[in-house]
Amino acid sequence: MATIIHPKSQLKSQSWYRFTHFLSVFMIYFALLIFIILALYPMLTMLMNSFKSDNEMYRNPVALPIVWTLKSYAAIFEYHGGMWLNFINSAIVAVTSTLFSVILCALAAFAFAKYRFKGRSLIFALLLGTMMVPSEVTMPGLFIAFAQLKWINTLQAQILPTITSVSGLFLIRQYMLEIPDALLDAARIDGANHLQVFWYVMVPTSAPVLGAYAILHFLGVWNAYTWPTLVATKRAVQPIMVVLPQIVDPVIGFVPAWGTIMAGCVLSTLPLLIVFLAFQEQFLSSVTIGAVKE
Amino acid sequence: MTANSAVVSPSTAIPYKPRKRWGEIIAPYLFISPFLISFILLFLGPAVYSLVLSFFRFAGYGEATFVGVQNYEKTLYYHVFWTQMRNVVQYWVGHAIPLVVLAFLMAVLVNARSVKNKNLVKPLLFLPQLVAAVAAALLFKNFFGTNYGLLNTILGQQIPWLENMDIARWVVIIVIVWRGMAYWFVIFQAGLTSINTEVTEAAIVDGANALQRLIFITIPLMRRTFLFFFVMDAIGSIRIFETPNVLGSNMGGLAPLQMAPVLNLVIDNIRNALFGQAAATSWLLFIFIAFISWMQFRLFRD
Repeated sequence: MATIIHPKSQLKSQSWYRFTHFLSVFMIYFALLIFIILALYPMLTMLMNSFKSDNEMYRNPVALPIVWTLKSYAAIFEYHGGMWLNFINSAIVAVTSTLFSVILCALAAFAFAKYRFKGRSLIFALLLGTMMVPSEVTMPGLFIAFAQLKWINTLQAQILPTITSVSGLFLIRQYMLEIPDALLDAARIDGANHLQVFWYVMVPTSAPVLGAYAILHFLGVWNAYTWPTLVATKRAVQPIMVVLPQIVDPVIGFVPAWGTIMAGCVLSTLPLLIVFLAFQEQFLSSVTIGAVKE
Repeated sequence: MTANSAVVSPSTAIPYKPRKRWGEIIAPYLFISPFLISFILLFLGPAVYSLVLSFFRFAGYGEATFVGVQNYEKTLYYHVFWTQMRNVVQYWVGHAIPLVVLAFLMAVLVNARSVKNKNLVKPLLFLPQLVAAVAAALLFKNFFGTNYGLLNTILGQQIPWLENMDIARWVVIIVIVWRGMAYWFVIFQAGLTSINTEVTEAAIVDGANALQRLIFITIPLMRRTFLFFFVMDAIGSIRIFETPNVLGSNMGGLAPLQMAPVLNLVIDNIRNALFGQAAATSWLLFIFIAFISWMQFRLFRD
């Protein structure tokens, strides 16, 4: 891996240096190629298999389809009265939750970053202290509460538990701390009230972190499985992730309908892929945000 | 002198303190209240309620009976809990080391100076993270199928990857590593780019080769990122749910015991309306998580 020109190597003959350099570059690219194949080939099989009939998938699971068919995608719309409903459920839950979460976290982060008030550090420390507590401990309590409200098998039962996030609050606050106070004062002198300062100064200046957090949160809710399996037992309110593992052959039953499942997997990945391609930088920064301190 | 100093003593001088306007005082509380109220209603309240429940026997209706620590005892003496715990420990130990090695290797490779198209390679390697855990598990379930799976077709064998539980647990680990690599690679890569280049350049001048630089400079400087990995990954491992359950069961049920993660006991108890038992089990998980994080912070302390 001698990629950097070594002072000693310059003493050796030019051709030897060129050879070792070429070799190391070749090896790096070769290793990267293997990693890329490992990462992408399973995804490609998902895509290829979604265009095969179930029969062909058993005979030809490895390569491109011999006969391309859209049957599996059609089956998604026919399956149990239309699985597109479950995609819509997922979208409603993820979008609503992200919207609420970003607004709640940003408002609170603004106060914690830019105001001095009684109890600020105490409340903030208490909130951070709960970050260690996994959301699983709330499940029994939330389940009983939602059951009493008759909210089992509703969308709000899936949305509400996800809207607050202490880590989100923390991320956004850290970013807002860096925004100069002079900017806020300038707006105040111009006569902006508290909410206007938030909306016209804080939101635009902290847009990168808000976008990154929104993406991160959307991803988490779209992919959620554990809690939805508990509170969404009726097909009509289930998100797509809960439905995908349940898809069986409509005629035989009990046998997974792999073509339909693969098409469902492709369609559930597609929105994320589009968002990823559009907002690559925010997307990748949403992963590293909070993990690496500069 | 004494009389003079008494006149200007700080206790008598009134410091100038601008009186805050009422709106100034109330505004921050208004800003934090939506978050705080939702947090108390949807997280803190239910968590405390679960803690109280864990000392009661409660079926969701009628009277709740106080049973002391019986729920905790029951869970700790329940063989299912320990089998699931053993599975989780295998998932954790089995995936953490290959994951950190592979993800770090990927990061080092992408960061190599000779790699020109970093902006193309990085997103490509990140793509598996876009596949949901459920979809990834289904994808590999198809991949490892016994009669029609891709792998058995290539090998020309009929290996029962998912029927034999001892093999199936390793398939779970493979899926976790495949998806996790994409995520942790990005984090390690960011960690690598944040390293001060002066130190590395000084080492080059001193004649350290690439491998020496990696072992003696880069890895020690990445300590905090590695600590972050081990803590977050250990916590994540205790909460594993989707991958083994989707791989191990048919039609969206729970995985068989020999594959089941410990979260299944919480879910099972809630489904059977054993809320006290479920609450006790979930709080036990918290105790394990707290213990692991505390241990790792001690181990990695400077």
